[in-house]
Amino acid sequence: MNEASDLLDAEFARARSGERTALTALVQAHQRSVYSLALRMLGTRDLAEDLTQEVFMQMSANLRGIASNRHLGFWLHQVTSHRAIDQLRRRSRLPMASLEDGAEFFSAEDQTDPLLQRHLRALLAHLSPPARAVLLLRYQEDLDPMDIARTLDMPINTVKSHLKRSLEIMRAESTRISPERCEDRST
Amino acid sequence: MSEDFESELRAALRPVEPSAEFSRKLLANVTAGEAAPRKPRKLGPGAGRPLVWWFTASLAACLIMAVGIQQHQQQQRLRQTGLEARREVEQALRLTSQKLNLAFEAIKSQSTATDEKSGV
Repeated sequence: MNEASDLLDAEFARARSGERTALTALVQAHQRSVYSLALRMLGTRDLAEDLTQEVFMQMSANLRGIASNRHLGFWLHQVTSHRAIDQLRRRSRLPMASLEDGAEFFSAEDQTDPLLQRHLRALLAHLSPPARAVLLLRYQEDLDPMDIARTLDMPINTVKSHLKRSLEIMRAESTRISPERCEDRST
Repeated sequence: MSEDFESELRAALRPVEPSAEFSRKLLANVTAGEAAPRKPRKLGPGAGRPLVWWFTASLAACLIMAVGIQQHQQQQRLRQTGLEARREVEQALRLTSQKLNLAFEAIKSQSTATDEKSGV
């Protein structure tokens, strides 16, 4: 982990000095995270690809203002989340991904309930844009609430309140679709 | 239950890879420093909103400028009229003053002649 991190720090330094191969390595290292966040915020591949490209173009133009590879990760989360929230606010009737559209959303490694997981992903669309961003940064990007608060420029209590309320909503809704599973797990 | 649910959520929200084609285009565009042409997208509700917004904003800006210019011109006209009126009043006062001076001179010379005749 440390070696990988050191390697990315070295790539970052070389990318800042204008080396294109290093920039490529940085994009490859972060594209999965940015694309996944964009996809689950906006709901369609087309919009997610457009947003991912915009974010990396902005990154490429602002690389000198970013201090380190760790800062770059924070910066990418921040820019992607804010841009996605802005887009969702501008287009209040944005089309969301259908359940069938989630072929690539589903990972073959999953040992858990695929139906429930699809349902959980679909439930994301019912959350407000800031609540969706909070949930994705917590459970997709594995950030702690303090980092989420910094990323979204939001008070920590608001982050915690979004997390609590979103989990309650999603748990209640998922109990409706898969009650026996939830009962099995609760026992 | 809560931890299991959160595990399900983590699994459901596991990051996904973008398509290889998109990834290739993205790398090419970022390293070239230019945005790729976007795919044409179907026009949906709200698709024309940015254009409408720009049109409305431009119209509003034009109206505000027109009103501003008109008000400025009106103020200039009022100022010009005021200056002309001031000049006319000054001219009238000057003429009045001259007439009064003449009258005063006439009265004064008439009074001196009368005194001389009466031998005062």
